[in-house]
Formats: sequence, C-alpha cells, structure tokens
Amino acid sequence: MERESSVVVRLEEVVKDFRPGFGLRVKRVLHGISFDVRRGEIFGFVGPNGAGKTTTLKILMGLIRATGGKAAILGNDVGERGFRKHVGFLPENPYFYDFLTGREILNFYAKLSGVPAAERKGRVQNLLDWVGLGQAADARLRTYSKGMLQRTGIAQALVHDPDVIFLDEPMSGLDPIGRMQIRDIILRLRQDGKTVFMNTHILSDVEVLCDRVAVIVDGRIRYQGRIEDVLEERDRMSEIVVSGLSPELAQRVEKEFAAVLRGHGEQIVIRLSEKYASPVLRLCLECGAEVTSLSPERTPLEDIFMFAVGEGERDRSQPAACSDSARRDAATPLEVRR
Amino acid sequence: MMLHRVGTLAHNTIREAIRNRLLYTLLFFAIALIGTGVLVSNLSYVEGERILQDVGLAAIRLMSVGIGVFVGVGLIHGEVERRTIYTILSKPVSRVEFLLGKYLGLVLTTWLMLVVMGVAFVAVSLGYGAPLDGGHLTAFGLIAMELVVMVAVATLFSSFTTPMLASLFTVGIYVLGHLSRDLRQLGGQAEGESLKPLANFLFEVLPDLEAFNVTTAAVHQLAISPHETLAAVVYGFGYSLLVLALASYLFARRDFR
Repeated sequence: MERESSVVVRLEEVVKDFRPGFGLRVKRVLHGISFDVRRGEIFGFVGPNGAGKTTTLKILMGLIRATGGKAAILGNDVGERGFRKHVGFLPENPYFYDFLTGREILNFYAKLSGVPAAERKGRVQNLLDWVGLGQAADARLRTYSKGMLQRTGIAQALVHDPDVIFLDEPMSGLDPIGRMQIRDIILRLRQDGKTVFMNTHILSDVEVLCDRVAVIVDGRIRYQGRIEDVLEERDRMSEIVVSGLSPELAQRVEKEFAAVLRGHGEQIVIRLSEKYASPVLRLCLECGAEVTSLSPERTPLEDIFMFAVGEGERDRSQPAACSDSARRDAATPLEVRR
Repeated sequence: MMLHRVGTLAHNTIREAIRNRLLYTLLFFAIALIGTGVLVSNLSYVEGERILQDVGLAAIRLMSVGIGVFVGVGLIHGEVERRTIYTILSKPVSRVEFLLGKYLGLVLTTWLMLVVMGVAFVAVSLGYGAPLDGGHLTAFGLIAMELVVMVAVATLFSSFTTPMLASLFTVGIYVLGHLSRDLRQLGGQAEGESLKPLANFLFEVLPDLEAFNVTTAAVHQLAISPHETLAAVVYGFGYSLLVLALASYLFARRDFR
C-alpha cells in the first residue's frame, strides 16, 4: 500500500496512434508503454529525437488523448482537470505572451491556477527572485534571452506550488551557464520534496540529476531502472594513447592494471578501468613514454542508450509479423525492471 | 466552470489587443472612414446629414466586423501555433473555459473599439449638425450584437482550421448571412420543389445578419420596433451560444500535436 501511494505518475500500456494527413493509414507512435514515477524523485525520460518522449508528456498533460492504456497522475486519470493544481509543466522551447512582463505573466498563470489574491503578489516576487529574474521582472518578455525565458517557464510551472513538475527538454538551446542555472533549480526542487519528470536526450544531465531513468526508442520502453544501478553495473573505462612504450612496460601495464592494449603503428591504445588511469599515466611518463591523450570511454548510460537505439533499428528491419506484445515480452539483456 | 478563469483569459485577450499597434492603425482607419462621410455629404445638395450618417454607420459596421474577423480567425489557431496554449491547459483550465475566455475577450475588445468609433460618429454628427436620437443607439446596440455572432463564427473556424481558411469561411458566412433572407425568398419563389426546403435549411443554418441591420431606419429616423430589437438580441445570443457549443465540441476533441 505504501509503495502504491508513493507512485506519482503511472503509465500502463499506453498506446497512441496518429493519422497523418487525411488518409486512412494509421501511424502508431507509442506501442504500449508502461512506467512509474515515484514521489520525491527526479525521473529522466530519455530517448532520441522522435522516440515518443514529447507525445508521452502531452498525453500526461492532457494535450493529446491516448488511443489505449491508462495514464494517471497522483492517482487521477489525465483526462480529469481538478488535480492539475498539483502539477506544473514546462514545454520544450516555451513561448509566452511577449507583450507581458515577467511579473504580469506569472500573475496571469497564478490567477489561472487559483492562487489566492492575498498570496499572489508575494508568491510571484519570491519566484522571480528564486529563478534569478528579480531585476528583469518589469521588462517585457520580448526582451528576454533564451535562458531567461526558460527560467520564466520554470517559474510559471511552480507558481501554484505544485507537487509534480514536468519538464520537456529543459536544457534545450541553453548555453553552459544557462544549463547550470536550470540544473541547480531542478536539484533545489528535489531538496524541497518535489517530484520532477524530465524529458531529455542529454545523457550527462540525466547522470547528474536523475534518480531513475526510462529509455524510450521508437515508442517502446527499452530500459528502466535506477541511475545508481546503471552506474554501478560496470566500471567506467578510460583510454590512454601513448607512444614510445617499451614491451616490458606494456606487459606490466597489462598484468598489473588489467588493461587491454592494442597498437596503431608507433601509438599504443591502453584501455583500462578509470580508477587505474592516474597510476598508469604516471608510470608511462616516468618511463619516458609520450602520452598523446587520455579520454573517458562512453558512460554505462550511453552504452544503454546506444544499445536501445540499435535494438530499435533492428526491430524496424524485422518483418511486421512480430507483434508488439511479443516484442515486449522478449526481455532484452538491458531490461531491468525494479 | 469557473468564471474567474474565463475572466482572466478574457482580460488577457483585451490586454493583448490594447498593446497591439496594428489595431490602433485599423481604428485610425475606421475613424478616417467615418470622417470621409463629411466629404461625401458635401457632394450632395440634399440630405447631407443622412448621407454623412449612412456612410459613418456603414464604415463602423464594416470596420468593427473586419477587426473582429481579422483577430478572431487567429484567436485559437495562434495560441496552438505559438504553443502558449500548452502552459495554459496544463493548469486547472478546461478547454471550454479557454475558448470562452478568448471569445469573451475579443467580443469586449470589439465593443471597446465600437465605443471609440461611436464617439467619433457622434462628434462628426454634432459637428455637422446631423440629428441624433435613440434610433442611433439601437443601431449601435445591434452592431454590437452582430459582433457577438460574427466573433463566435470566427472563433468556431479558428478552433479547427488555419487563419487563411477561417477567414474565407467567416467572410463567406458574413456575406451569406446578409443574404439569407433573400435566399429563403428566392427558394420560396422557385419552381422546383426541392429548392424550397434547401433554401429554408440554409436560412436556418446561416445567421440572419439582416436582423441586426437597422441603420437605414436609424438614419431616416423611422420607428424601430422594440419587439424586433429584443428578438434580434435574443436570436443573436442564442445563435452565438449554439456556434460556441459546436466550437467547444470540436475544440475539446482536438489533439495538440
């Protein structure tokens, strides 16, 4: 029972069909996806462009209707409306009425969300300060930068103090400073006990921010699990490219540090666990070898992502006779459902 | 339905119009057209005052409906295109509330403009020494009702199609709406039996916009029946409600892809 009440977002076998143009042909974009988001976590919904992330989010926001399956937020069917006072939403590349100022737009959303008039002014000012827009509060939105608009978007999503916040590509198009600011805001939301659902294809953000992740490819969930598990599943690996490595030293590196060496002419590539990168680097330099580069390999999450994408491509090339349910039942080595 | 949400959306729609410079240009153009009545009336030896008011009221009708249709056809479509609707519908706002808020905001905007044009009309009439009475007020009131209907029609088309198509459909309805009585009369006189029910059907479906046209009576200071005026007001609200119900039905079924 406790576990049930901790589920904030639940999708069960959600299917979505679109009818492109006026034809009779139907295109299925979601093939019975299911996942849960739990209270207080940051959930990363990851997938390549066109995988179905935004479609899923639009179903959750009631902007489009699912063809089949069930979608619920805080135990309410997404077709209902009353519970939306507990939900905040930032769409991808948000656009707001640019004839309004930052303060006016937040007032507008606060009124729509039913924030009492007595609280509204203070709430809006606090939020503007919280997202770093206090100085620009009375400037028209048409004068705002992309990063400022994104922060306005987050502020409008929070103006009614919701329990769950849905963010669609929150880092999209932002410079490194803008990304860092949004990242900090998301982490502060978790500290405040909010649940955050984040659509993204930037895996480094997922690794830093998210507690759990689901990977969607071609409208199918290919993986879901805890980020901790993903990162612990395997050592992070590094590659060191050196030249002038003596055969004796090469043998020692292989034996002592469980490294795999492969040669490219004068250059040798040493592939080894990230934890041994520093001692091996030091050893190579002490022995007079020339180090050309040191680079981390793909992270485990990137591995999973690439595997899922590859699986999707394989599925597409398979004959249509293979049913969706059969595909779902055929668990992949990466499918970890906890 | 919560009226405060509809009110908030309507207020924002009015604010958008007030901050839009293009509408001021249209309003200036409308006032200039009312002013041209003075020139046209000077070309006539007789009934200069009536020509002045005829031109003025015709300009007001045309420009106010023009503004209503011009803004109305993009009213919903623009929100979907710019994706401003996403954040609004993610709040506890229903699609019907959204549609009604936008509609009400535009009706009030066009009424506001009608008041400004009315002030210009009164100023020009007084300056020229043309008579003004209750008939003129009734004419303005029924232009306001025609706006209620035409903005509803524009909102209906805007709720499911592009501004270009919505403009074509709305202007088409406006023209046919003014001809619907003639259509019914022609159908009644036609020889073929099948034409009569068709003409009646068109009369029932199309708005009877001539019901709101009392400008000739107002200008010529003829008696305007209070019963007919009241019937036109009831008809205008009733027709608009039906159109808005259809718009809400279509809008509620839309996927915002």
